[in-house]
Amino acid sequence: MMLTEILAGVLLLAVIGLVSGGVLLLSSRRWQDSGDEVTSLVNKLLPQTQCAQCGYPGCKPYAEAIVAGEAINKCPPGGDNTIRALADLLGKDFVQLDESCGTSQAPMVALIREPECIGCTLCIKACPVDAIIGAQQMMHTIIFEECTGCELCVAPCPVDCIDMISLEVHEKTEPVHLADSQPCIHCGICMEVCPQDLAPQQLLLFKNSPTLAESLRLQDCIECGLCDRVCPSKIPLTAIFQNTKQAALDQKSESAKAEYIESRFTRRESRLIASTANIHKRPSKAETASLLAGINNRQQP
Amino acid sequence: MPEPIFILLSTIFVNNFVMVQFLGLCPFMGASQKFDSAVGMAAATTFVLTLASAASYLVEYYILIPFDLQYLRIISFIVIIAALVQFSEIVIKATQPLLHQILGIFIPLITTNCAVLGVALLNVNHSRSFFESIMFGLGAALGFSLLLVMFAAIREKQEHKQIPMPFQGAAINMITAGLLSLAFMGFTGMDR
Repeated sequence: MMLTEILAGVLLLAVIGLVSGGVLLLSSRRWQDSGDEVTSLVNKLLPQTQCAQCGYPGCKPYAEAIVAGEAINKCPPGGDNTIRALADLLGKDFVQLDESCGTSQAPMVALIREPECIGCTLCIKACPVDAIIGAQQMMHTIIFEECTGCELCVAPCPVDCIDMISLEVHEKTEPVHLADSQPCIHCGICMEVCPQDLAPQQLLLFKNSPTLAESLRLQDCIECGLCDRVCPSKIPLTAIFQNTKQAALDQKSESAKAEYIESRFTRRESRLIASTANIHKRPSKAETASLLAGINNRQQP
Repeated sequence: MPEPIFILLSTIFVNNFVMVQFLGLCPFMGASQKFDSAVGMAAATTFVLTLASAASYLVEYYILIPFDLQYLRIISFIVIIAALVQFSEIVIKATQPLLHQILGIFIPLITTNCAVLGVALLNVNHSRSFFESIMFGLGAALGFSLLLVMFAAIREKQEHKQIPMPFQGAAINMITAGLLSLAFMGFTGMDR
């Protein structure tokens, strides 16, 4: 009696397990993993300098690592903006930049002191985006616009003739003086006066997230200043919107630049793969004969 | 009011699983950071809860009782729920990779969402019929989804507000959840 009870229990669980396991097996065959959609989304947010400061050999490998669970704060060139964008995308919390990977600094480019260059081509091989031109025994030079400032060419140079110069970043936006203003009381008067039918109080709420503000037609703002006038809290709305607009523009130009650099990087990668694949070994005698026969046959008719 | 619709409405509002019975609080707090992911989580939980209540009814009345095996109720329900959760994870991973990435561990954790097992066990305790069980599961799921989506929307708005230092983070979330719970307590006594 005891034995049959135990057997029935074991049998029951085995049957349930087998049936559900079978269904799961079938469904996993039916719904295949659609692969690296997330990776490409993450990759788009990275600055594509290919500087490898994160410890991965480029931006794409780092994107893959992030998807697999790596920390999102290892990209010094991207700085806080990139970390914030990644945190938004992946629903994680914002964290400070990991200082062990390097510090976020003003954008730089490399510059070769040309009289000292000995033409060794070592830096050309190191450049991830093919921004250095030159040949053996010839002076090299860096294409200013293409350089991402990744510093990968500095270490290989045997005569140390490459300098990193920092680009001057002109402050595009002026900080808004909020000292005289009170918090927004959501009175809605600004909505009534706005000639473009915008909702300035909503836009104010999203001043730090340009993408959200743009979805509320931020770019339609004509900066007429009417909302400033009527605001009972004296909030300098127009100045704030100007800054948000500028931030939105910066975001777009940065992502366009990142896309361009990435295309150069992938072209270099495919060129390298192609050049290693094209190394021919000397054909054997039989192969030569057949090749020659093919050529002769084609010439005859 | 017909009985099934009564069960549905009372589980959504009056006996809301999250706010009144305090079941399923882990995903309620954990997966409500973003509105979009909360909607995905709500859909996955609705799917699992409804099917689990149907499957557990079938197992209880066609396998466990005829073979006199009621003592295996909890473990067999858990196996069924785990299988349903795995199934929904496979589907989400293939169709919504970004959602899968954001929710991460919270999808497998639906298995341990006490609301799911709670619904299955409560159905057996109250000896509800098949249709009523499904309605109870659906009501619990819809109530959970309602609260999750509502809470996510509130949290997303709060992100852009200036919250005093001591209240930032988990503190303001707890207070918001408490206020929501108070509001739902107001429905108490509206069923018979």
